Amino acid sequence: MVKKMHLGWFMNFSRSTAWTSPWVLESEAREWMNGDYHIDWVRSMERAGFDYAMLEDSSMVADGYGGSMEVDLKHSLYAPKGDPLSIAPVLAKATEHIGIISTASTSFYPPFLLARAIATIDHISGGRAGWNIVTSSEDRAAQNFNLDKLYEHDTRYEMADEFVEVAEKLWSSWDADAVVMDRATGTYVDHNKVRPIDHVGEYFKVRGPLNVPRPPQGRPVYCQAGGSPRGRQFAAAHADTIISAAQGIEDMREFRDDIRRRMIDLGRDPDSCKVMFITTPVLGNTEAEAKERWEAMLHPTQAGVDVALGHMGALTEIDFTQIDADKPFPELTTNGHRTTLEKFLKLGKTPREAAGKWAIRYTDPTFVGTPEKVAAEMSRVFDEVGGDGFLIAAGGSRRGITEITDGLVGALQQLGRTRTSYNHAHLRDNLMEF
Amino acid sequence: MHLGWFTNFLPPSWNRTWSGRAADTWASGDFHINVARRLEEGRLDYLLLEDSSYVSNTYGGDFELELAQMSRAPKHDPMPLAAAITRETRNLGVIATANTTFYPPYLLARLISTLDHISRGRIGLNVVTGAPNQALANFGISDAALKDSASAHDLRYDMADEFVELVVKLWESWERDAVIQDREADRYIESSKVHTVDYDGQYHRSRGPLNTIPSPQYRPVICQAGGSPRGIRFAAKYASTIVALPKGEDYMRKYCDDVRREMEAAGRDPEECKILFLVSPTLGDTDADAQRRREADRARVDERVRQRLSLMSGGETDYSAYPLDEPLPELDARGQSVTDTFVRMNAGKTFRSALADDTTESVELVGAPETVADRMGEVLESTTGDGYLFYSGSGQLTMRYVDEVIDGLVPELQRSGLARTEYTGSTLSEHLAEF
Repeated sequence: MVKKMHLGWFMNFSRSTAWTSPWVLESEAREWMNGDYHIDWVRSMERAGFDYAMLEDSSMVADGYGGSMEVDLKHSLYAPKGDPLSIAPVLAKATEHIGIISTASTSFYPPFLLARAIATIDHISGGRAGWNIVTSSEDRAAQNFNLDKLYEHDTRYEMADEFVEVAEKLWSSWDADAVVMDRATGTYVDHNKVRPIDHVGEYFKVRGPLNVPRPPQGRPVYCQAGGSPRGRQFAAAHADTIISAAQGIEDMREFRDDIRRRMIDLGRDPDSCKVMFITTPVLGNTEAEAKERWEAMLHPTQAGVDVALGHMGALTEIDFTQIDADKPFPELTTNGHRTTLEKFLKLGKTPREAAGKWAIRYTDPTFVGTPEKVAAEMSRVFDEVGGDGFLIAAGGSRRGITEITDGLVGALQQLGRTRTSYNHAHLRDNLMEF
Repeated sequence: MHLGWFTNFLPPSWNRTWSGRAADTWASGDFHINVARRLEEGRLDYLLLEDSSYVSNTYGGDFELELAQMSRAPKHDPMPLAAAITRETRNLGVIATANTTFYPPYLLARLISTLDHISRGRIGLNVVTGAPNQALANFGISDAALKDSASAHDLRYDMADEFVELVVKLWESWERDAVIQDREADRYIESSKVHTVDYDGQYHRSRGPLNTIPSPQYRPVICQAGGSPRGIRFAAKYASTIVALPKGEDYMRKYCDDVRREMEAAGRDPEECKILFLVSPTLGDTDADAQRRREADRARVDERVRQRLSLMSGGETDYSAYPLDEPLPELDARGQSVTDTFVRMNAGKTFRSALADDTTESVELVGAPETVADRMGEVLESTTGDGYLFYSGSGQLTMRYVDEVIDGLVPELQRSGLARTEYTGSTLSEHLAEF
């Protein structure tokens, strides 16, 4: 029997990435924030048996590119973006099985507030909530939150470690059987099963208990995406699922093996965390059609280059307008997304060359072809890497979504590679099923 | 008149005759969603979700009374519930409570903006400032100036003033027509219509702009519940609707006068804010039937005493030390109007009977639907209020009570021309401004 792969989708609560495409309704490109588009999207994913929808997030309008908000807003790259914690409960109520993972930053949320919001969503969804733990990477976001700049990279992870510790104490501050509903004595909750946490740490001081009973999953599923050594260590310590942008089969295998090693060193079962590799399959009715789409994507317009460099400028706060796009990269460092910058620099010798591949979300290995061929190719890569699944970064229109959910996943199901129905009520149990 | 419903994301009534099994499944949100649908059938203006962020062990030093009574906890986050409710309704406004002492302003401005989009313009923000020591401790706030006292009460409002000013600036950091969607120029947003706010106040700082597009109401409805002079001044500045709990017609009238005077002083048209009084009508087939029900309810003295004690034990005073059968003890209001009112209403009684008699309603309403509807009309005339918020006690909500109000009382109000029979607007702002 072949090994099954997990599937997730890397989404954000923003307008369709293809708003100028003929396959996107004008009204929907304007009114996406009412949630309809995302509800349809997640329902399609549930139809295809995806493990989870992961809602990425950021909290700023970027102006790293040319010192102006123009490029960010013109193409709506970082902004506008709706709050994932608002749409997550709506998506949860519109579905029955799929997990909904929301991103929230440990640098900006008070731990009590976030622990409570996520516990509430876990209850509302009947145990299908996840938290993508990020530490944020932009000073521009920090400046929205009473800070001049972000805490230093490694300090952010120390804070995140303590934040997670506090959140877990809060979720455990109610025993699982605290709600007794004893009619004879008129007791709703047995107070002996609820305790303050009295956490006093380096960064946080929280009394507790939470004012929400223990969430159905005990704690929500943790998702993490840090690729730096500190980020990997954090992920190995906490995560149930990890998002990786590793490029090439070698790097993918190295990344997954490294995470598993770190987990063993930390005393965790390495199978208790699923590493998901970001990929953007390009599909067509025929091989030729898929290749044609791919070729068209490989040659971005100047706007495409602007978009890519604008993105990179926002993530790293490096102003790429100050760097010649057609000359080899100078030496660059960042307090923001370190791993992302390194990957970007590897995509090409010059900013223009790298931007070209970035613009099409170039992922290596590339999956281009008919659903059957791509499904077979993904299975081969999956077997070579060793696991655990893929995180789709694509879509942009309903057509693009169903090409994946009904075309590609249909073919993966034919190969016995992905689930055809859900066997568990909770997200964590579905993740750990295989 | 305007009508709303005041509740919270607590378990509904669980151990009484008409509780059903709602309390087993309430955490899924389904019970509250069903309530909201019923309120919409009654064409109410809004559902208000109250909130607090702590479990109190003030009474007797442990959580026993607090958790057995569940008048304050478990209480789930109202924001995810508000999102879910708005997707299951079409017209009803949903007002969610957030505390200005605990939220980072940017986070809240963004959350409410997103909810306004998801609800297609039906969200409201109920701004509260109350921060008992035990709630402060959940947020690691150890600033002595904010600890429970009359000066802290006013300080929190000063902070809230800045907070709301900043939140509004963030909402307005995008001009209304910033999203241009020019396909030919490949330009989604006109960046010259988006501005930083660069707010640098005494208590709050934020650069902005917000990262959400202008929401349907642009400036979502702000609700407030302040009863103290400082609270009224705050409400007069920002609120489009007020939750009010002055007790007795004289105080209700005075409250309206105070709010409107402060609104004029703040340069606002008093019509822009709708004052809704909290009420808990007891309804029956006949007046006598209703009277019997209220008396039966009042006769449950022990239960009522425990409920009130639990509700009152959110602050620092441990009432377990106060003998129940002696005259009402001295109570330190710490600037809170609720405590002042309790003392005024119950002068001369024993603590036990004061607790047993205490209710969360501006005016007592008991009778057949027709009687209560008439009385509601009269009281609004005499007090100049704008409407009512129904409330059935925290942790005591049953669907049966909702049905009695929506299917019994509201139709009487509609027949008398006192309540709307159809929505004419689509946003909460429009509902509130309709009359």
